[in-house]
Amino acid sequence: MYIFLILVALEITIRVFHLYTEDPPRYIDKYGVEKRVPGSTGYAVTGNRNQDMAEFHINNAGFNSYRDFDPTKEKFEIALIGDSFIEGFHQNYYNSIGKKIENKIKGIEVYEYGYSGYDLANQLQLIHSYQKDFELIDEVILYMNYKNDLERGVYTPDRARIAMLSSPLFEIRDHIKLLAYGSKIGILEPLKHLVTGNAFELNTRGYKTNLIETETQAEILKREQQYLENFKNLVRLYGYDKTKNTLLLDASKTSKSFLEYCNANGFKYIDFSEAFKKSTKATTLIYDWHWNDHGRELVAQVIADYIKNKDKDLLGSKP
Amino acid sequence: MLFNSIEYLLFLPTVFVLYWFVFNKSVKLQNVLIIIASYIFYGWWDWRFLVLIFLSTIVDYLVGQQIHKNWDNNKKAKYWLWVSMAFNLGLLGTFKYFNFFVDSFVDMVHVMGYDIKSTWTLSIILPVGISFYTFQTMSYSFDIYYKKLVPTKNLTAFMAFVAFFPQLVAGPIERASNLLKQITDARKFNYDQAADGMKLILWGFFKKLAIADSLAPIVDDIFNNYGEHSASTLILGVCLFSFQVYGDFSGYTDIAIGTSKLFGVELMSNFKFPNLSRNVAEYWQRWHVSLSTWFRHYLYIPLGGSRVSKLKSVRNIAIIFLVSGFWHGANWTFIFWGGLHALFYIPVFLMGKNRIYADNVIGENTFLPSFKEMMQVLATFSLVTFSRIFFRSPTLTDSFGYMKQIATHFYFEPYVHPMGYRMIDFFVLLALFNVYEYLIRKDERSPFKFNSQITRFVLYSMVVLGILLFYDDGVNRSFIYFQF
Repeated sequence: MYIFLILVALEITIRVFHLYTEDPPRYIDKYGVEKRVPGSTGYAVTGNRNQDMAEFHINNAGFNSYRDFDPTKEKFEIALIGDSFIEGFHQNYYNSIGKKIENKIKGIEVYEYGYSGYDLANQLQLIHSYQKDFELIDEVILYMNYKNDLERGVYTPDRARIAMLSSPLFEIRDHIKLLAYGSKIGILEPLKHLVTGNAFELNTRGYKTNLIETETQAEILKREQQYLENFKNLVRLYGYDKTKNTLLLDASKTSKSFLEYCNANGFKYIDFSEAFKKSTKATTLIYDWHWNDHGRELVAQVIADYIKNKDKDLLGSKP
Repeated sequence: MLFNSIEYLLFLPTVFVLYWFVFNKSVKLQNVLIIIASYIFYGWWDWRFLVLIFLSTIVDYLVGQQIHKNWDNNKKAKYWLWVSMAFNLGLLGTFKYFNFFVDSFVDMVHVMGYDIKSTWTLSIILPVGISFYTFQTMSYSFDIYYKKLVPTKNLTAFMAFVAFFPQLVAGPIERASNLLKQITDARKFNYDQAADGMKLILWGFFKKLAIADSLAPIVDDIFNNYGEHSASTLILGVCLFSFQVYGDFSGYTDIAIGTSKLFGVELMSNFKFPNLSRNVAEYWQRWHVSLSTWFRHYLYIPLGGSRVSKLKSVRNIAIIFLVSGFWHGANWTFIFWGGLHALFYIPVFLMGKNRIYADNVIGENTFLPSFKEMMQVLATFSLVTFSRIFFRSPTLTDSFGYMKQIATHFYFEPYVHPMGYRMIDFFVLLALFNVYEYLIRKDERSPFKFNSQITRFVLYSMVVLGILLFYDDGVNRSFIYFQF
């Protein structure tokens, strides 16, 4: 009885102080694109003690944005595609990178196709699937984190994961906020591992090990070659409009061989590494590696400068 | 196996059910279960080191019989006592101190102008809990030698006594007169005792998960980068380490005592709110009591204790603290830490104030402590915390570097948590924790002893909520004292 009452008290406390994250539901649409359920809302809460809370607003297209996407020939639109850095779950939807770009270039519309976990395969498949919309969009910026966005050369929708997230077990978890909170802070991880049968295989015994794994030069070279092959394969499978598409990347964290390939083959890219390097203020959040408001401001600025420079004529011709 | 692991979450209820419902036909069966469970518990870490526990058990079991046989022949009895000491200290010397002695010898020779290469160091890991179980088995032989105990002929009970899993890897270091007797006697399930045990386990988890583990990233960050911080941050770092190590070790002990209660066994108290001590002598009556008691019984008193001249007593105190420091680890930092405590303790001893707080607590007859008591607590905490610089630093160079940095960068700077969390949360947590410890200061074994059911309910809820709010998924969950 005591235990039940304590659990009820905890559930109430967690709800009152909104310690839990409300992740907007995900689904896979008819084209196989993974996105959020249109019209859904939610909150991203950072840390166990609600250190930072940001609101989600999922638009009709299924992405976190303050505006709906309605591309036309008359307007100047930019599509900004990427993972959590673009989705910006740690910021309020009305203070996003896209909004910042719009503030810097009056009269344009920025459509943020941001979704946590998107890699380049997701991004190019999205453009391929919504070709008609993207034909009307004037510029497409693809955020690419070289370290983990080129790990595959073909897109396959992860239906099993989506099915799992919408299974009754996860539905229950999302409705019982104590469980949602416990899951978020990681206290349920050991139980999850137990259910999945790998509880004892993990290094959870807590004893320190001195094993440091480093990649050899040969392994690095092999990985870079594989990434380049994946890139080529994605371009071949889903197409790539070199006049419209531009990669957004940190050149200091991208392999030289990849950049050389881009330069030699006309794949344009925006490099924000210099802007970050020059910054005297921190560019990422302290509690995770995502860009903070200052970092987002810098990224918005380099994109805005690029667009202003590239589309001088076009910007002037559209109202 | 760690108390705070999924393995233990499955292990404990399984052993509990087997103990009270399957193996409850006889004490012997229950003790066999304790041995099996304890060996699994220990072997989960590294089964090879079970050999050491087994050997230590057998040696002291046999030595105990021999000492008893020779009670009339002190020379022979002493010989057998030396066998026990040589074996147990030999284990410690090999697995814990060998490399330290070799390295220290090489360093000493280097200071004398000679260079020799240290090729004799052993590539071995320190067996978890070796300092605890060797001291426990030695205490058995000592007690028989001093004719305070008749050796048991029940090998099963003795094996269970040595390997009893709740206290095997980090104490309390039990004396046979307390623990062995309970293990040989029949045990009956007692609901109240078990409920008390569960409460202690909950409190122990709070200390470990909410206090120690949440402070660990801050302490690690400050100590690892002490050269980059100002005095205010460095002082904060060592203060937080004081709470971390207390939460970690006393949390472990509470879980150990609580778990033992579930099996009908009462272990001795190991922590009695040491942060509320009014002088360093009282601190040592409240911090790691089982180790202090061990050194008092088996080293201090045999050396003459305080019944010799003042000078010799001072010498004895210095020896106790230096050895106690060395017990903690094969590193000069621990010896300095022990030496520093000797320096703090000796003036209290010389003023005759080392026993004045032995039988009372702060605010003994009042709700609030007096101003004088508060100042005494603050002064004691400051001294003890200062010594922790040696305890936490990896080398003496780092210890002195840390202190030098405090002296040369004596200004305030706001500290930013390595993960960006609000520091005020931790200060509030520690403030509430200390106030609560003050409220329960008279009984370290009953952290929720309140008559009102509602009060207890609120406290349980708050403690669980505290664990959730300060649970840090990214920290190493091992206990600090496992390394000793």
